[in-house]
Amino acid sequence: MTNMERHVEKILEQMQSPHDEREEIREEVLNHLEEAKQHYISGGFNEKQAEKRVLSEFGSAETIGNQLQESMYPYQRGLLYVIGIGTILFGVIFYLTSAFFLHNPIPVWLAIQLVTGGTVTLAAINISFVGRYFYLVNVLLLVNVLWNGINIAIMEVRPRWQAIFFGIYLLVLVGLGLVAVIRNAYYSSSPAASKQRHRGMVLLSHIVNLLFGLVVAGVSLFFLWALLAFSEAKADVILTVVPIIIWVITYKFQMRYIPKKPLISIATGLGFSVLSIVLPFMILRLL
Amino acid sequence: MSRKMKNISFITGIVLLFFVLWGAGSFASPPEGFSGFGQSTDISPDDSELVFSYYHGDDAALYTVPVSGGKAELLAKPDEGKSFLNPAFSPDGGKIAFVEQWEEEGEEKKQRYSQLRIVDREDQTTETLMNTNDYITKAVFSPDGGSLFFLKAGVFKNYSPISSERPHDFDIFRMDLKTKDIEQLTSKEAYSMSSLNVSADGDQLMYKTYGNRDQLVLHSLEDGKEETIVPAGDFGSKAPIISSPTLSPDGEHVVFSDVAAKDEQGTYVYEGFRMDLDTGKAEQITSFYEHVASPVFFHNEDKLIVTVDKNFAGAEPDNSYWQITADGKERKRVMIEMPES
Repeated sequence: MTNMERHVEKILEQMQSPHDEREEIREEVLNHLEEAKQHYISGGFNEKQAEKRVLSEFGSAETIGNQLQESMYPYQRGLLYVIGIGTILFGVIFYLTSAFFLHNPIPVWLAIQLVTGGTVTLAAINISFVGRYFYLVNVLLLVNVLWNGINIAIMEVRPRWQAIFFGIYLLVLVGLGLVAVIRNAYYSSSPAASKQRHRGMVLLSHIVNLLFGLVVAGVSLFFLWALLAFSEAKADVILTVVPIIIWVITYKFQMRYIPKKPLISIATGLGFSVLSIVLPFMILRLL
Repeated sequence: MSRKMKNISFITGIVLLFFVLWGAGSFASPPEGFSGFGQSTDISPDDSELVFSYYHGDDAALYTVPVSGGKAELLAKPDEGKSFLNPAFSPDGGKIAFVEQWEEEGEEKKQRYSQLRIVDREDQTTETLMNTNDYITKAVFSPDGGSLFFLKAGVFKNYSPISSERPHDFDIFRMDLKTKDIEQLTSKEAYSMSSLNVSADGDQLMYKTYGNRDQLVLHSLEDGKEETIVPAGDFGSKAPIISSPTLSPDGEHVVFSDVAAKDEQGTYVYEGFRMDLDTGKAEQITSFYEHVASPVFFHNEDKLIVTVDKNFAGAEPDNSYWQITADGKERKRVMIEMPES
């Protein structure tokens, strides 16, 4: 690998572009550098000198990579960092207040909080590797949103000022999470793949589809809560989260289908959502 | 820093963070449990003393204090993990009946117990009248002091998965305090029954129950006939949500707490209401803008003591006791100095 190729790889390390897009960028940037190098060679520099000159003029790989990432996927990496670190920070503050004000710290809760915040942060750190798998990033984000949503529900039992502070904090986190999911889904189809006038429709379809998901999650968690709170929980508990699992699996299909047929995919999204709720009920009936 | 180093440092950092917080959390003191005044009280027949429950770390003991306030005295203290609740004076003031409640780990789930006990103030002894085979929630003395009327639940469970476990299948019983014979007065197996009262002449009982809505029932001790009353008044909820109804000594009024309004958080605000037993009309008599509960009449004065919870919607109550005039116009807090435990 030449110095210039290494430089381009470092640039690509900052970017979440999928495979084809990476190849294009790699080729384009390399061509550009090669041309500049030829220009210096014809100006009297030897090959090594020309290469050095070109790379120093082109700028640091990290800066260029970040700039390219921001121009193609604006704020996506930043959002992941904010959500991930925000989730971790919430874990720290909430755990300490639980321990020292309410005398009731729950280490398992802290572990889950740190894991979900940590995975999102790791996705941001490894954006070049993880970011290409848009569905994976969205699953990580959705788990985070779901968990923070559950956290909002348990704030009710807190003293008033704590409930308000933590409630607002979590609402912001959940909101950012949803925005990140929608944007990520939107960017998962390359702009060239669909016509420009479709883009608004595609975005709308992504939003509606996610709203269906929120309803499914809400129904699931309500039954989970009711089961845990009011009866001796057993195997049924697992069944209550089945709708969420089904929805997340069909979401992979939806993410690919929405850019192609934004309108029809609203209908399929609704269908999948209804199915995900009805199916466990039917299983329960049959058992 | 290379990406690999970033990943390793980040993961190590998170793991360290977890253990540091875990360690810090384990230094925090364990939950101390609830300490503070209980809800239910009673006034001695000569109107000089108030008996109440006070919680120390989730366990409620019984105390007495002069009705105008002052130093409280310990009356009876339960074993660890148990609570003495719902005290009721005997007509001569010499005895106090109460229930003892606690939980035990059962085979599958926690078992709840609530048994009937009585404390003799003269010889300082506590006797168990009904043991753990029965779930007793409330007892009151007959006006002649010869017997105890009490509410007993048949089961302790939740009928619907979205309700919590409570005592159900209630009926009223009477125990002759000399012979300890027990007589069952009703056979209703009622879903709910609470706030048992005896009229001053001893002719009838009053209790609260539920049938489509909260209602009061007057039960004649002569012929067992019952009269149902649903108070009419300007309540903050659609139907009255009656709590702790109490008969006045003259038998003409019932004072209870009910929803008067909703506060900014949408929590119901309970105030005291006084109902005329003849007309069934109820009017609001307190304006604490807090949760008012458990009114108890003085025997010889037109006054009551009510319990006010300043943290009704919160996890733990913050009860205080207040003397109010029967028309609700005057009020004064009963300041209580608790002895060192």
